[in-house]
Amino acid sequence: MDYLIEGLNVLTPGQAVMWCIGGLLIFLAIKKDMEPALLLPMGFGAILVNLPLSPVIAESGILKSLFEVGIEASEAMPLLLFIGIGAMIDFGPLLSNPKLFILGGAAQLGIFVTIILAALIGFPIEDAASIGIIGAADGPTAIMVSQVLKSNYTAAIIVVAYSYMALVPIVQPAVVKLCTTKKERMIKMNYTSTQVTKLTRIMFPIIVTLIAGLIAPESLSLVGMLMFGNLIRECGVLQSLSETAQTTFSNIITLLLGITIAFQMQAEAFLRLETLVIMALGLFAFVFDTIGGVFCAKFMNLFTKNKINPIIGAAGISAFPMAARVAEKLGIQEDPSNHLLMHAVGVNVSGQIASAIVGGLIIGLVL
Amino acid sequence: MINMLLAFENLTPMNPEVLKASLNILWQGLLAIFIVIALIIVAVSVTTDLIAKAKAYKEKNGEFSIKKFFKKK
Repeated sequence: MDYLIEGLNVLTPGQAVMWCIGGLLIFLAIKKDMEPALLLPMGFGAILVNLPLSPVIAESGILKSLFEVGIEASEAMPLLLFIGIGAMIDFGPLLSNPKLFILGGAAQLGIFVTIILAALIGFPIEDAASIGIIGAADGPTAIMVSQVLKSNYTAAIIVVAYSYMALVPIVQPAVVKLCTTKKERMIKMNYTSTQVTKLTRIMFPIIVTLIAGLIAPESLSLVGMLMFGNLIRECGVLQSLSETAQTTFSNIITLLLGITIAFQMQAEAFLRLETLVIMALGLFAFVFDTIGGVFCAKFMNLFTKNKINPIIGAAGISAFPMAARVAEKLGIQEDPSNHLLMHAVGVNVSGQIASAIVGGLIIGLVL
Repeated sequence: MINMLLAFENLTPMNPEVLKASLNILWQGLLAIFIVIALIIVAVSVTTDLIAKAKAYKEKNGEFSIKKFFKKK
């Protein structure tokens, strides 16, 4: 009868703790609606891989195989997810006012500042860069960078990145209010819906791919997939493919990504004091991203006639579309007639492109 | 502080070389991202402008021809 308690005999306290963490992720996904498409499979996966003698992580186990093929070998899963994200994004508001792109770039500041802080704390440069990329507020980019740089903390980085993305509505308003005056938050921005031609919309993903490919070739996998997805959306002849990419395709990849990433959540690799440090650094990255975007908007106001409401700078963090919604809500709080949504969406989608480019740049600069 | 950090499994006391590398990433990364963004803004603005002009030309003169379009300008 010993075989019945074989598993119990080799159960470690760390594994039991990981069940609790898995349970917490499932709770947050179901009860708090925090990134449920990802946190739920990750939570369940965390339990799955921390069962003693679990065959899913054995040499030819399903999760180990999925991880090796879908993430380790070519980062295929996060990259494929970018096709879906690209198909979801309407770049119209950005194309109506291209200078908003600057705010998307400035809102990546947190990534770089966090890399420096992580280096100061004592992380090796590969881990410091992977931790900094939490500030990209973009799951696939974080997975890709931490995998390519072979970080020891991939699972912690992914969990922290997705958790803070879900916490954007809590983190950002406080930071924006600290960095701006009431008068600045009440700046009205008129939105003139400039008609963006279909040809411009089609040319945009091609132009971005060419420029990113020439200046920052390491970012091409991420930017290329993102722009490919957007081209499917905008070309007008692949309607059903576009819809599939936005819904079914994205959902399937997200589901597989979540459960596959859980492979890295084995107790011995995940339960380290460094995980707590990474959580603190992740928050730092999100805060400095927001500060970067807000202060860049303030700086631009020194030179522009039509003032920019600094709140929209915060939307440059690429958590799409949540950051834009937060900016709209903050604007309405100050003045119910001040609708910033379209401007914020423009900044938000530029942040999505900028974070993918920065991800590639960091890989290139570290390797 | 450093003693406390030494208790962490994979952390080492701050290495000046790593710090130097992270500062390099800061300036090179920020410079590169803003160059890429500037180029995208210019390219998008030029494309939008050209498309708008071509559209206006077509509405005014009927059939659009690249040769005539640039000759006219």
